[in-house]
Order: sequence, then C-alpha cells, then structure tokens
Amino acid sequence: MLEKRGASLTMTINTKQFGSIDIDESEIISFPDGLFGFESLKKFTLIEEPDSPMMWLQSCSESDLAFVILRVVDFMKEYDLSISQSDLESVGTEDPSELDVFAIVTIPLENPSEMTANLMGPVIINMKDKKGRQVISLCDKYKTKHRVLDELQAKTGA
Amino acid sequence: MLVLARRTNESIMIGDDIEIVVIDIKGDQVKLGIKAPKKVTVHRKEIFDEIKQENIAAISTPFKPDTLRDLSDFFKKK
Repeated sequence: MLEKRGASLTMTINTKQFGSIDIDESEIISFPDGLFGFESLKKFTLIEEPDSPMMWLQSCSESDLAFVILRVVDFMKEYDLSISQSDLESVGTEDPSELDVFAIVTIPLENPSEMTANLMGPVIINMKDKKGRQVISLCDKYKTKHRVLDELQAKTGA
Repeated sequence: MLVLARRTNESIMIGDDIEIVVIDIKGDQVKLGIKAPKKVTVHRKEIFDEIKQENIAAISTPFKPDTLRDLSDFFKKK
C-alpha cells in the first residue's frame, strides 16, 4: 500500500521480525531479477537489527520472506568482489567501490553460533540508485557456507 | 528444447555473437568452449542451484526471536 503523506511516499509493509512497519519509498531497493530461487520478489528493504551489524533483507510483498544478512566488511578481513561486468552494470555502476556488499546468513536452529555466510552468491546494492542484485562470485574460493565466527576470528585476530 | 547433434570441433551459434564449440569428447564428458561478449555471464548450472538451495535454507530456519540478539554479541569488540 503506497500512501502519500506530506512530501514523501510512505508504504506499510509486514515484516517477519518487526511486525507491521512504515517505510519511506526511498528505502525500497529494487531487485529487477529477484534473488536465486525467489525471482518474483523484486522489492526489498533493509532493516537493521538494533545494536547489531546483523540486518534483514525484507521482501516488501511477502512478510515471511526475510533474509538475515551481514555486510562482508563486518565479519571478514577481506573479501574479493570478483563479479562480471554485466552484474556491475545491472545495478547501475561500473565502479565496485560504490557498492555495498552483503552475504546472506544461514542460522542453524539447534546451534545458531554455527551460522554460515553465503560468499558464493553475495548481494550487491547500489544505495545511491536503490538497486540490488544477487550475483555469482567468479572467485573459486568462495562457497555457500563459510562459518561466520571463523571469519570474524580471522578478522579480529583473536 | 532444441536438440542438435555436433561432432568435435563443430559449434553452434546462439544469436549472432555467442558461439559454443565442442572441443573434446571423452566417455560421458564433453569439453565445451564458449566464445561470448564480455557482458554475457557463463556459469555451471550447479552454481545457480547451489545458491538457490542456500537461499532457501537461509529463510527456512525458524530460529527463536532472541537468537539474533545473542549472535550479535559475537560482533562486539572484546
């Protein structure tokens, strides 16, 4: 539901974690091709988990479809964003440094601290143009399950 | 689905700028060469499937509401 309130457009969306919330139209990120396996979901918004680097990539149309994501810089010492030119162009830039790079996190029910990050299929977002895409890393070393706490330990040197 | 029979060193064209050449055939394995413009991405299908499966796994776990808060503690500076 899109409603005009004052100068900006506000939309009420139902979220998995936070119930019904209002977001500004400018907070909607378009994913023209959806995500792998979820090609019909074209609009998402980012919701920050309070006091945490963890965030939700919440579908604007399906309340149950929300992914926990992390910025790769928040848990990795380094991440080599090696992706195709067409992936870059599809989010409206030729400069990878303009992008925010996220990994989708899978959290096992029984043992949440074994959570893993999908580095093979990172999510790139051009915040300026509000355009996102899940891409395929061209770097062989990145798989779909990297233990987040191992990466975090390598990053902090603990 | 269009099915074409090809021999070693023969190729097919997809559109006018993508060429797929059969380089070698050994047993049940075919080695293909792909000539395509730089903007065309080429990946093994298993990669797509793997990422799709992981996306499904990521949204399928009904973890408890407190889980994220507990996990967030790991990121706090020691």
